Amino acid sequence: MKMAIYFVRRLLVMVLTLFIIASATFFLLAATPGDALTARVEKLPDAVAERLYAKYGLDRPIMERYVTTMSGLLHGDFGDSIIYQGQTVQSIIKEKGPISARLGIQQMLLGVTVGLLLGVLAAVKKGTIWDYLVVALSILLISVPNLIFALMLQQIFAGNLGWFPVIGWPKQNIWFGGWEYTILPMFAGCFGYIASYARLLKASMLDVMNQDYVLTAESKGLSRGEVIRHHVLRNSFIPIVTQLPMSVAMCITGSFFIESVFSIPGLGLYYVNAVAAQDIPIVMGQTVILSAIYIAVVFLTDILYTIVDPRIRITGGKR
Amino acid sequence: MREKLLEVKDLAVSYHGYAGEVQSVRRVSFDVNRGETVAVVGESGCGKSVTAKTIMHLIKTPPAEIKEGSQVLFNGEDVLRFDKKRLSQYRGGEAAIIFQDALAALNPTMTVGNQIVENIRHHSSVSKKEATAQAVELLRMVGIPQPEQRVKQYPHEFSGGMRQRVMIAIAFACNPQLLIADEPTTALDVTIQSQIVDLIKELQKEKGTSVILITHDLGVVANIAHRIVVMYSGKIVERGSNLSIFHSPKHPYTNALLEAVPRLDLVNKQVLSSIEGTPPDLLNPPPGCPFCSRCKYCMEICCTEEPPAVPFDEGHEASCWLYALAEPCKDAPFTWEDRK
Repeated sequence: MKMAIYFVRRLLVMVLTLFIIASATFFLLAATPGDALTARVEKLPDAVAERLYAKYGLDRPIMERYVTTMSGLLHGDFGDSIIYQGQTVQSIIKEKGPISARLGIQQMLLGVTVGLLLGVLAAVKKGTIWDYLVVALSILLISVPNLIFALMLQQIFAGNLGWFPVIGWPKQNIWFGGWEYTILPMFAGCFGYIASYARLLKASMLDVMNQDYVLTAESKGLSRGEVIRHHVLRNSFIPIVTQLPMSVAMCITGSFFIESVFSIPGLGLYYVNAVAAQDIPIVMGQTVILSAIYIAVVFLTDILYTIVDPRIRITGGKR
Repeated sequence: MREKLLEVKDLAVSYHGYAGEVQSVRRVSFDVNRGETVAVVGESGCGKSVTAKTIMHLIKTPPAEIKEGSQVLFNGEDVLRFDKKRLSQYRGGEAAIIFQDALAALNPTMTVGNQIVENIRHHSSVSKKEATAQAVELLRMVGIPQPEQRVKQYPHEFSGGMRQRVMIAIAFACNPQLLIADEPTTALDVTIQSQIVDLIKELQKEKGTSVILITHDLGVVANIAHRIVVMYSGKIVERGSNLSIFHSPKHPYTNALLEAVPRLDLVNKQVLSSIEGTPPDLLNPPPGCPFCSRCKYCMEICCTEEPPAVPFDEGHEASCWLYALAEPCKDAPFTWEDRK
C-alpha cells in the first residue's frame, strides 16, 4: 500500500515536471526574435508567406499557439517539422534515435567498464604510481573536450594509418553491422565516462575502506581480496548506481560534436540544427520526449537504490 | 601459576602525521592468562584502542609504525611476525575483536546472518546451510529473540544493543581463545551497557575465553575484570587486581579516576570531581611522569625523571615517585575512606 501511494505520487510529480519543462521550452522559443520561416519567406511574395504562416499556425497569438501545442502534446502530436518537410518528431526519433543510441551505448559500455576498472586499481593501489597515473589520466581526459580527441583519432587512425574509415556510419543492420565505422567515434566519446567513473569509484572506495565494518571484515581473517570483493565493492557502488542511469539517458540523446566530426546522421545533429532554425515542433517534441526519458530514469534510479542499499527498502524509497 | 595466553612486551606504536611523530603507545607490557578478564582503562587518546588493534595486527602501517622490539606473544608466537596465512587463521579464529559502534562495524548491505556465516566458513569448511544453522544458534546464544527470522535481516533493522549482541555473536563464531572488546558499551544506554557486560561475562565463563576489555568507564570494569591495567598517555601507570585497584589505588591518576565515578551508595548532592587540565601532547611527550602537570602530589623530580614501577602486594604496581624516593611513602596520601 505504502509502495502504491509512493508510485502514484511520483507519477503525478513526473507529469507536473514535464508540463513545466514543455511550457518553459515553448515560451523561451517564442521569446527569441524571428521564427522558423523568417529566412524562407524573405524572397517569397506576401500572399505565399501569409499562407505559409497560416499553415504552421505561426500567425496566431502566442497564448493560442501555446494552448494548441500543449493540447497536441497530450495526444503525443507534436506537429510537423517546419524545416524537414513532411517529418514529425516521432519519425525523426524513430529514424535517427537508434543511430545515436548505438553510438552512445557503445561509448558508455566501454567508458564505464574501463573507468570502473581504473577506479578499483587506483583505490586498491592507493599512493603508488598506479594511483597517480589514473588520477593524471582522469584529469587529462576530463579537461580536454571530446571534439579534440575525435579530430586526433580521425587524423591518426583514419588519416595516417588508414585502419578505419574517416567518416560515415553503417547503413544496413544498424545495431550490429559495420563495426569499423563505430570504433573511432566510440573511443572519441568514451573518455568522459572513463574519467568520471574512475574518479567516482576511487573516491567512493576509499571512503568505504575507512569504514569500521571493513576493519571488522579484516578482523575475521578475510584476505584483502575477499574484503574488497565482499565488503568494499558493493558499498562503493551506491554512488555509481545513481550515476549510471543518468549516463544511459545521456547516451541516447546523441553527441553533437562527435556526430558532426564523423558525419553520423544521429539525433544530436538534428536537434542542434532544429534549435538553430527555431523549428518549434521538433524542439518541443525532442525536449519533451528526452525529458520524459530522463525523468523515468531518475525514477528507475530510486528503485535501483533500494536494491543495492537495503536501508532504503522498508519505506519504499525515501526522497 | 596460570598459563599465559597473551603477552604484550615493550609495545610501542607511533603515528606519522604532518605535525610529526605521535607516540600513541610508549613501551607497554602486560599479559593475559587463560580464562581471565583484563581491563585496560584510560581516558580518550591514551593509546588503549591502538593497543587493542595492534594485538589483532589491524593497525595500518603506514601511517602507523610499530617500533622495533615490540612483541605481542600469543601462545608464545609473535603476532607481529605472522605471515598472511597465519594471520588469517589468527584473526577471527583464535582472537576476535568487538568495536565500540556496532552500527558502523557491521556491513550495512549484508545480512547479519551472512556476516556471521562469513566468519564461520573462513575458519572451517562447512556448507553454507550448516554455517547458517550455526549462525542461528549463535544469535540465540547471545540472546536475540526469534533468531531464525533475525538472521535474514540487515543491521539497520536491529536496535543498538541488539547490534552489539550481533557483534558478540560474530566474535564468538569460531570460539576464539581471546576476545578483545574495544569500548563495547560506550555507544549504548546505561541499562543496555550492563546487559552487554553481563553477556560477555557469561560467555567467557562458559567458553573459558580470555577477555581484554578496553574502556574509559571504571563502572563497567568493576564486576567483570579480574585484573586492571590503567593507561595514561601511552604508558601503563598502574596495574593490579580488581580489588587492589578499587580499594587501594596507588597512583594519583587512578585515584582521580575513581573519584570521578559517581557513587550510588552515598548521599545525594556530592560534588563529582574532575581531573583538571589535559593529557600531555604525545608529539612531544614530557621527560618525567606524564601525569605531573595535573597531579596534586607533583614533586620536582616528577617533571624531570620518569618514575620507576614500584611493586606492592601480588602483581600490584604503580609508576609513581611517591613510592620510589629514598624515603618513600608507605601508604598512598589518599585512601578508600577519603572517597566516601
